[in-house]
Order: sequence, then C-alpha cells, then structure tokens
Amino acid sequence: MAEGGVRQCQHCAVPPQLSLRTVNSSRSAFASFLFAPLFFQLYEAGGPPPDRELFRCKVLMKSFLGVFRSLPSLEKTVGKCLILLKPRASRLVVQLHCKYGVTKTHNLAFQECERLQAIFDTQRCTSSLCAPARVLAEAVVHFPPTLAEVTLGTGPGGKISLRNYVEDEAGEPSKTMVTELWLAKDEFETVAITPGSHITFCLKEFRGLLTFAEASNLPLTIHYDAPGRPVIFTLADAVLEVHLVLATLSDPESSLQPPTANGVSHLPTPSEDFTDDLESYMIAMETSAYEEGSGVPPSPTFPLCTPHPAESDPEEEEEEEEGAVPGTPPHKKFRSLFFGSVLTPGGPSPAPTQEVLAEDSEEES
Amino acid sequence: GEPYVLAASLDNARHLSSLLRAVHFQDHATCFATANGLRVTVEDAKCIQANAFIQAEIFQDFAVQEESVTFRINLSVLLDCLTIFGTSSLPGTSTALRMCYRGYGYPLMLFLEEGGVVTVCKINTQEPDQLLDFDFCSTKVVNKIILQSDGLREAFAELDMTSEVLQITMSPDKPYFRLSTFGNAGSAHLDYPRDSDLMETFHCNQTQTNRYKISLLKPSTKALALSCKVSIRTDAQGFLSLQYMIRNEDGQICFVEYYCCPDEDITEAEFM
Amino acid sequence: MRFRAKIVDLACLNHFSRVINTIAKLAKTCTLRLTVSKLYFILSDKVANGGVSMWCELCQGNFFDEFQMEGVAAEHNEIYLELVPENLARALKTAQSAKAVKIKLTNKHCPCLRVAVELPSLSSSSRIVTHDIPVGVIPRRLWNDFREPSVPDFDVSIYLPVLKTMKSVVERMKNLSNSIVIEANLNGEMNLKIETDLVSVTTHFKDLGNPPWSNSAQDRDLESMAEARIDIKKLQQLLAGQQVNPTKALCNIVSKRIVHFILLHEDVSLQYFIPALA
Repeated sequence: MAEGGVRQCQHCAVPPQLSLRTVNSSRSAFASFLFAPLFFQLYEAGGPPPDRELFRCKVLMKSFLGVFRSLPSLEKTVGKCLILLKPRASRLVVQLHCKYGVTKTHNLAFQECERLQAIFDTQRCTSSLCAPARVLAEAVVHFPPTLAEVTLGTGPGGKISLRNYVEDEAGEPSKTMVTELWLAKDEFETVAITPGSHITFCLKEFRGLLTFAEASNLPLTIHYDAPGRPVIFTLADAVLEVHLVLATLSDPESSLQPPTANGVSHLPTPSEDFTDDLESYMIAMETSAYEEGSGVPPSPTFPLCTPHPAESDPEEEEEEEEGAVPGTPPHKKFRSLFFGSVLTPGGPSPAPTQEVLAEDSEEES
Repeated sequence: GEPYVLAASLDNARHLSSLLRAVHFQDHATCFATANGLRVTVEDAKCIQANAFIQAEIFQDFAVQEESVTFRINLSVLLDCLTIFGTSSLPGTSTALRMCYRGYGYPLMLFLEEGGVVTVCKINTQEPDQLLDFDFCSTKVVNKIILQSDGLREAFAELDMTSEVLQITMSPDKPYFRLSTFGNAGSAHLDYPRDSDLMETFHCNQTQTNRYKISLLKPSTKALALSCKVSIRTDAQGFLSLQYMIRNEDGQICFVEYYCCPDEDITEAEFM
Repeated sequence: MRFRAKIVDLACLNHFSRVINTIAKLAKTCTLRLTVSKLYFILSDKVANGGVSMWCELCQGNFFDEFQMEGVAAEHNEIYLELVPENLARALKTAQSAKAVKIKLTNKHCPCLRVAVELPSLSSSSRIVTHDIPVGVIPRRLWNDFREPSVPDFDVSIYLPVLKTMKSVVERMKNLSNSIVIEANLNGEMNLKIETDLVSVTTHFKDLGNPPWSNSAQDRDLESMAEARIDIKKLQQLLAGQQVNPTKALCNIVSKRIVHFILLHEDVSLQYFIPALA
C-alpha cells in the first residue's frame, strides 16, 4: 500500500475477517486487502460483545509500516507475528516473536472510524485485462521512475499499449521523451476490451501493487471503463483479495458522455496543506469526533465525474442515498487536471478534510 | 632523533579510519596520545562522549616523546585524508600511513602511500577542548549486560526516531532487558530474555529504568555496525556506558566507548 | 534529411550505451553530429557556465549493423541535432537484452529521434518499446559553432594515472576544497594539490610517461612543472562519469589557461576541456 504512495492512514475492520484499507490524501487512490481467517494460523474474533462486533479503526500508515520495515530481516528473524486489537485500550498491538527469544511489541495508537469504501463494480466495467504480474512489471520498467501517469490503450493489431502521459502545453511540442510499448494479446491471460478505449492513471500506485503481485506470483486483473472513471486492479487467491482503485484522467473531448455506474463521487476538495504528521492527525481526530457528536450533516460535495448530475441514472441515485462514497477523485498533482476540467476553479469546500474518509455506509461490499 | 612528539606508522590506514568513523558525529575531535596508544574523543551537547581507542600495538611503530600529547583536530578532514585512496581498495592492496606531530601549534602530518602513489597532508590542529569527565568506573556499575552486536543492530537501525528518548530497562526479573520508545505511532518495546543466546553476560543487581535522548544515542549505531559484541552498563545515577568490541580485518581487537547522561526531565506518566 | 541506424549485436549495444551514459553524466544537453562514417557528441559551454567543452567521436561502423543517413545537401552531408543525452541513456537502459535497437529520425509532431527496442517476450511476437526523444535540428548557419577544437599549444602532455585512483583522490579533495591545482612535468610526474585554511593535501604520481607529440616543446626543462588551477567539480564529473574504461588517457596542460583531457577507447575518443580559474 505504501509503495503506491498511499501513506495517509490505514483502516482495518475485524470480524468476520481482517481487511486493510487506505485512501490517499487527494482520494485518487483507494486500496483494500481482505484476508480470510484461513490466511492466519489463528484468528479469534475478540471477547464478549461489544468487542465481537465489527470493529473499524484507523492507524497511521507510517506507524504500521514501521513495524514491518525491513522485509528481508523479518523473513530471517521473525518466527511468529501476533496482532491484537484492543478497543478498550485504543491500541493495536503487533507483537513479533523473533530469533533468540527476542520479542518486539508495538503498541500503535488508533482511532475508531467509519467505513471506508470506494464505490466500484468490476462487473460494470466495459473493459478488462488479466496478465501475470511479471508481464506488467517488465512492461513498466521502461518508464522513468519519476513518471507520474501512464496511458493504457489499444494499439494496432489488437495489441495493448502503455504510453507515458504528457500534458499538452498549449499546442507546443513537448520537450518530454515519449515512451510507448506494445504487448501482444497472447501475453495476457484474458483480454476483453472495448476497441479504441484508453485510460490514464498514476503509475506510482500501480507499481506498488505490481511489486506485491509479483512477489505473491498472482495474476493481476485490470478493469476499466471510460476515461475519468476509475480503473480497478484486482488480485486474489483462496485467502486474500486485493483491490486497488485509481482515478483516471478524464478526457476533455469525451466529458459530455453520460456517466456510467462507477466512481461517482461526492467529495469536498482536499485541504491544501494536508500533512500526515501527528498534529494534523490529532486535529482530524477531534474534528471527526465533533462531527459525530453534533450530528452535522455530510459536507457539501462536488460531483466529480458528472458534469450533469441531473442526468445520472436512477441506480446511481440509489447508491448516493446509501451514503456511500469515495470514488476516486484526484491525486494532488492530478487535481488541476481534474478539477480544472470538471469543477469550477476556486470552489473549495469549507469542510474538514478527514471527515470524508469516513462516510457512512450500510454494509461491506 | 626525530623532532616529533608523536610519530606512528600503520600498514593499513583503514584500521584507523574505520574506528574514527565510528565516533564521527561531530566535526571536531580531541586526540590524546600516550605510550599506550591513541584515544580520539568526540562530544556533543555536554551529554554524550564517544571514545575510540587504538592501542599502540595496532601500529607498527608508535612513539610518544612526552608523557601525553593532546590536540584538537577537524575529524571530517582527517577522515577524508585517511581515505584519500578510497574506503575500499582492491583486495591485497592497502594504504600505508605515517603520522607525525611536532607539537603545540604545528599541523598533524600524514604520509599515505598506496601502489606507489604518495599523498602528503598537513592538517591544522587547535587548542584541545576541556573534556567531560563521566567518572564512570567499573566499581560503581549497577547493571551490566554483554550482548552479541547482531542482536542489537537491527533494533538500533529501526529505532522510532519520532520518540524523543530511548528507555532502557535492566532488571534481575522480567523483562530483564528492555528497550522502549514512545513515538508518534505509539510505544514499542523490545525484550531480550536473560537466557537468550545473544546474551553473553547478564549481571543485573537491581531494576533500573533510565531514559536517554535518542538523538544522542543514534550516532552510536556507527560503532554498533562495526562491532561484534557490546557491553551495556549503568551506574547508580543512570549514566550509561556502551562499549563496543571491534575486530579489524587482521583480527585485532579495538574498543569504542560511548558515555551518555540520563535524560533528566522524566515524566513518570508515560511508563507502561 | 534522413537518418536510420540499427544495432543487433549485444556487445555493441552495451558498449554504445556505456558511451551514452558517460556523455549523459557530462552534459545536460549536447549536440549530436551525424556524418556518413561517424557520430559526434559535442558540448561547447559558454564561458559563463564554466566554459567546459567536450568532443566525443565514434565510428559508426563499430557499433551499428545498419547506418543510413542523408544530410541537408549532397555537399553538406551532415546532420546536427540538439538533444538531452540522458533521454537516450534512459531509452537504452532497459534495452540490455534487446534483440535489436533501431534509431531513426522522425518528424511526426515535432522532430524526434525514435529509439525502437525489440525485446524478447513470452509471446509469439517480440515486445516493442519505442522512445521518442525530442530533438532540435540545428540549421547550417550555426554549424560553425560546433567545429572540432584544436589541440591547444600545451606546455606539458602526460599520461593519466589509473583513473580509479585519480577519481577517489579527487573525490576526497572535493570534500575539502572547491578548486584543485593540477601540475605535471615532462618527467612523467603529476601532482594534484588542494590548499585551504584547514588543510593542505598533495598527491604525487610518478612514472606516468609523456606521450610523444611531434610538436612538443623540446627545449623545456624535464623537471619543471606546468600547472593550472581548475574547478574541482568539473574534474570530478569527468572522472565519475567514466563508464568506458579507456585504454589510453592523457592530459595536456597549458599553464594557467586550460587542461585538455583525452580518453581513448579503441574506436571512441573523448576530449574534455576545463579552463583554468583566474
């Protein structure tokens, strides 16, 4: 998760299974890891109620990551890892039992939170691709490490192309090197894409997921729709299910097309100076406590990918009423691109940033 | 004979430079030479002192004309000079060193030679500093543990630097030896049982919990990285001594020692 | 104007990319001059930027399996392009296992040097990666700015010591000082010196040998040193950037004016000029 640059907070929900979720500060990326109880040697669902019930909390990504900092040394030294969620003490305890009888105990502070869920439905995506992680990992190495966005599309002869996204600067020829590569259909396990379709998304998060997918030797499925709709990367085995949802750049030319099912988002703009230090974290905690206590309604929101919300279909309206949300709006760097094309400039929301990380929703999807 | 109050030769300059790097957390160091060898001392914030000891036997030739010779020198410059031919030369080659000092007011002269190439350095010296006296003697030691450095390296590399202090608990009872940090992320404890294979010696007479500024202890990681064993001792006032045993490429043993004052403003509230 | 070239041999490809990496370390942007038989990478920095200049020359025949070019006119059968060598280096970086690399001058949206890399893949067809490197085409009236520099009328010419040793000495000295004095005589001796308030350091090299130039000053005293003080960063850059291990390396010193380095590796020659500081 953090390799994808998503390092703001981490979210876990206990019974009936452990799920780790995170969204980046500009909410252009959402990741979820769902572990089946069988993933663990032992999985116990807490003590008597209310502890038995579904429990959600968020932990600073940096802290959580600190526990597992060096993977090679973890593999060498750690024999057993014990994770305890102690709601009463507001602590997430991670205990590592290492070689030579050494025990490392990390007591991580957390805050309870509401459900964090991006709205996406892979079934409704018009295009999907599935490939061994290695194929995709070998493809992205050709792009410079600093490259922000990449465009996935179809090429001549049914080939799949990846190309670095270059911002058009008022018709001026760009000084940026453009790299493009083509993958033959038979390098994929399945290819079901709309001819001529293309999407642009952040490479960094994708690289992060690829690293994980490659290490776990799982094929990766990419579901996408029209430009501006989120792209969903999934991988799964018997005990683990992973989703990464990324915002895609909307295509100015096709922005008039009617909205489809995915990623309708009603969010306030992210605060300008969001930082993930403790201070802002604490402030955010207070804010959300206040919001809960005073029953302040959800903050004013912007329709992100729907320039004509009135035209949205009834199904979508339903979803909105359920109060679900974070689709995958823009990454900070994306923002000008996104909001520039979709929102009126200079229309920030007065709402506190953190609040949207915890929208209510009825049930787990 | 020679006009030098200090003259020393060393077949492999790296034996000196790697030890000096283990105490290099400030630009300036005080060098103190007696017939027994050379001690290089670095201090910071009147709270921490690091000493690298290079016994006379490590040198092929070590001559001191006075009872003791002391001068202050820029350690960064000295290290750049000692490693002028690189920090890792090809196997089978090494940098030979001759080091001379004429006395107060004179520069320290270094003659380095590798593969027929000669480098001559003149490093200006300064008036020595008044050094801290920790008065840490083995008779006052309350608790003492000797650990294999392997067991501590990772712990120090991964210290939560958002914690202001490193808390060290040494006790005849559980948790025996515990390192704790209290950072933004919450607290973390690292427990070493007394019967661990990492533990070479365990002499703890009373339960002591002391805190040390983590920023002051962090530089000792450099010494830890080179060492094979570390001795951790505390006295009744909570002063800490970390002694690192370092074996060089030729199998010779040298020591680097760090002394640290306990952090005075302990707030009991955070104990857990 | 046309240009297309192809490398198939892996050893040639790796050699070529090492040359490009060296260039990329020395120049942010440079001029690529193409002729029928040779490629040149040229940097001529303005005096304001330190006045460093570089001239790197390679025979195309030693690298390319195919090489076709057509200049602006039959009597001026050359092409001058301005490019960022780092782009070329990056394009070649992931081409280490390529079956073939083609380089082509194109002009779709803007003039580009297109590097097309054919990589082996698990599928029946190869994987193709293309990199479009934007280039500026330099008009003929400016070609004169990029003429081969003449070997200066030096006081002393000397072979350089093992570059690895020289590099580590210069790197340490760079930590201590901004400028370095390089001095040498016709007796095969060279010294590198720095001096500051804190420290003075001199490294003495001997038995280096002096190249037999026909025009060299015969009447010069063998022991007398010619010296120049130069920007230590420029020298360090030259030494750190070396990815091609030169078979011959030498330097020519014009007292108090310029130091001219020549690095030769079979078919590649690199000349680098660092002006003396006042």
